[in-house]
Amino acid sequence: MILYKGNIYENTKQKELLKSLQDDCLNTLSCTKSIKTSEVIDACDQLTKITLEGKFDHIIKPLIEEYDIPSEYFEKYVSMFSKKSLEKKIAIELGDDYQSLLPLDDKNKRSIHPLGILFHIAAGNVDILPAYSVIEGLLVGNINILKLPTGDKGVSIDLLLELINIQPKLKEYIYVFDVPSTETDTLQVFANMADAIVVWGGDQAVKAARKMAPINTKIIDWGHKLSFAYANLNSSDEDLKGLAHHIASTNQLLCSSAQGIYVDTDDRDKLDSFAERFFKIFIEVNKTHVPVPFGMKSRNAVELYYEKLVQDISKKRIWKQDGISVVTSNDNKLELSLLFRNVWIKRLPRDQIVKVIKPHRSHLQSATILAPKKEYNIYLEKLIQSGLVRIKKPIEMSDVLLGESHDGMYPLRLYSNIVETYNI
Amino acid sequence: MGMMNMKRKYIKKLFKHKKPYDVEGTNQLFCDAIKENVIHHYNNCDDYKHIIDQAKFDPNTISDISDLVRLPFIPTLYFKRHELFSIPLKKMAIKATSSGTSSGLKSKVGMSYRDLLIGFKMIFRLFKYHKLWSFRRVNYFIFGYEPSKHTDVVIMKSANGFTYVAPAKKRYYALKWDDESKKYKVDLESMKQAFIDASTKKTPIRTLGFPAYTYFLLKEMKEEGIRLQMPKGSIVTIGGGWKQFYAEKVDKVSFYEVVEEVLGIPEKNIVEFFGAVEHPVVFPDCEYHHLHIPIYSRVIIRDPDTFEPVQSGEMGLINLLSPLNSATPLVSVMTDDLGVLHNGCKCGAQAPWLEIIGRVGIKDIITCAQGADEILSK
Repeated sequence: MILYKGNIYENTKQKELLKSLQDDCLNTLSCTKSIKTSEVIDACDQLTKITLEGKFDHIIKPLIEEYDIPSEYFEKYVSMFSKKSLEKKIAIELGDDYQSLLPLDDKNKRSIHPLGILFHIAAGNVDILPAYSVIEGLLVGNINILKLPTGDKGVSIDLLLELINIQPKLKEYIYVFDVPSTETDTLQVFANMADAIVVWGGDQAVKAARKMAPINTKIIDWGHKLSFAYANLNSSDEDLKGLAHHIASTNQLLCSSAQGIYVDTDDRDKLDSFAERFFKIFIEVNKTHVPVPFGMKSRNAVELYYEKLVQDISKKRIWKQDGISVVTSNDNKLELSLLFRNVWIKRLPRDQIVKVIKPHRSHLQSATILAPKKEYNIYLEKLIQSGLVRIKKPIEMSDVLLGESHDGMYPLRLYSNIVETYNI
Repeated sequence: MGMMNMKRKYIKKLFKHKKPYDVEGTNQLFCDAIKENVIHHYNNCDDYKHIIDQAKFDPNTISDISDLVRLPFIPTLYFKRHELFSIPLKKMAIKATSSGTSSGLKSKVGMSYRDLLIGFKMIFRLFKYHKLWSFRRVNYFIFGYEPSKHTDVVIMKSANGFTYVAPAKKRYYALKWDDESKKYKVDLESMKQAFIDASTKKTPIRTLGFPAYTYFLLKEMKEEGIRLQMPKGSIVTIGGGWKQFYAEKVDKVSFYEVVEEVLGIPEKNIVEFFGAVEHPVVFPDCEYHHLHIPIYSRVIIRDPDTFEPVQSGEMGLINLLSPLNSATPLVSVMTDDLGVLHNGCKCGAQAPWLEIIGRVGIKDIITCAQGADEILSK
């Protein structure tokens, strides 16, 4: 399906619509009455209200079940699109004075303007994400062309169409096309007319976007990230419990989910006893969560059985029960876990943190620190020096806060220009 | 245990047994054949010996069919990451690789000439039971790889092997080697034309290979309104697994429907085969589309938490056992598939049948964390 100027078309119409797309976009840009941020915020506020009233339950209920999201979380997420929240987000990202920036001097003013046309290449891992990306583009007044991810279930068009129904002016600012990633000719058309390409997904997706973008087109990439925990041997049971809850509730699937624990020691025996201590807590905490899905538990059972077969070479130690596991090893490689509550635990003495972690700079996101108060700041400094951009409490690693950056960046700044003008 | 010459007394006897689904009557024979095969691999493959020793298992203690539960199994993962061989490479008739998996890794598995020979005996017996032999010439539609020197994928070998079951008049392939791009390319258009041509002639057809390709082509033909009547005696056989289907959420019933609708081949003439590169025995399905376990195999469904066998009717990991292979220790293999064993079937075969639920885990869990790792591990 295609969403074009507020109308839905079959994909067969694509060729015809593409012919007029550029002119239509440029007409909108040259129109004197461009969309105002307040109008976008009001529309989102309205969308939030009807979503909370249950209008999109048919879309949202399956999502909540699939990801096992508690209902209070859901309300919190949805409320991030309310007027109050969006105003705060804008103030944080663009500054309190975004509507009337402090002038440079008596004659030279500054103001914030949209880049113009954004081409969003959305990822398919969270159904709501493509629409979210478009809304961020709208907030600073951009025209948004969205390429749906493969396997999109129609959520994006439903939500964006509702937004247009609430605020009909938005129809000139939202275009959605269902073009497969292999149809490079069409994607090239979008890339050529865009002021920036906003790409979500792995390095492959980013690479593809760079390849198709004209040399001076801005690429804004929201790539895949990894997160981990850093623990001191004297970390408290409470922190370990918090981390276990975080791991069990996110199944290690999010960018912000801890894949494993680095421990400030170079002693393997101490590492193993730490692992044993954490495993006991993990087992207890896990009992309070829904069980690991059968298929994932089975996959990991085979993987761990394999690890057992090669244990005398790999020197790994494995603790497993109830479909969850903890594995210690001699290496200090930052890597993905087996997912679904299988945690690696490795040695990483504090003086080696920067050396080991920094090379992964472009894939780092969150870390949590499990350490007594007096040592917290030492670790904090090392982790920031290594390139981590988000340090959270163990149990809150994946909590989302209003106004948080995206992996250390403010999208609204990236989606807008500062324009300097003079008075005559 | 000292070195001993490879004895295949019980293995040969098992594969000579006349009733391919007489599981009860062959339990002891199967157990003895497994013991023979375990001892052969133990003596000739260091890695296998290591696995058996590490588990503190003594192959000489195998005496009853129930002992096979204790025999250490090897996950298919292991064959993807290690090469295990119990005979010299030069003695191998086939060195096959599996047709790839979600991980992109392929198993490397060998087969000796003697393995092949008893394998043919097995195929002969099974096909006779299922009345799949024919002396009439047929046209083969192979939804698989056209043979070329560029691949040693086992599916291709078995697909081509199958075309000798009934003499071939012509063979059409869906995956053709393209010399220009040096790659296999899917060519469904010419398959479609060939189907249309075949429907006007008298020679029966047989289709073989990946069900996904067959399904896509037939669905397309259905959408184009093509309705054919294939000559009498035509058979659709499918192998290579339904794995692609789990993602597509296509059930077998809709596959049978589209075959009947587009090709005019009735459901009873659709035969499915289960096989895996890591398990050399094929399971053809019965008229009720149940995959009965032939006497050359045993299946243990195991609980993922404990690896203990589960009750019949319960889901678990599929562990396949067979004494057929002497080149690679495939004697007890743990697959990446979930399944259920069932008893009783109206077709009359006494052997239990295996229902395959699907691959463990979710192939396409796309997570942002996972995407990052792909790069880190480079």
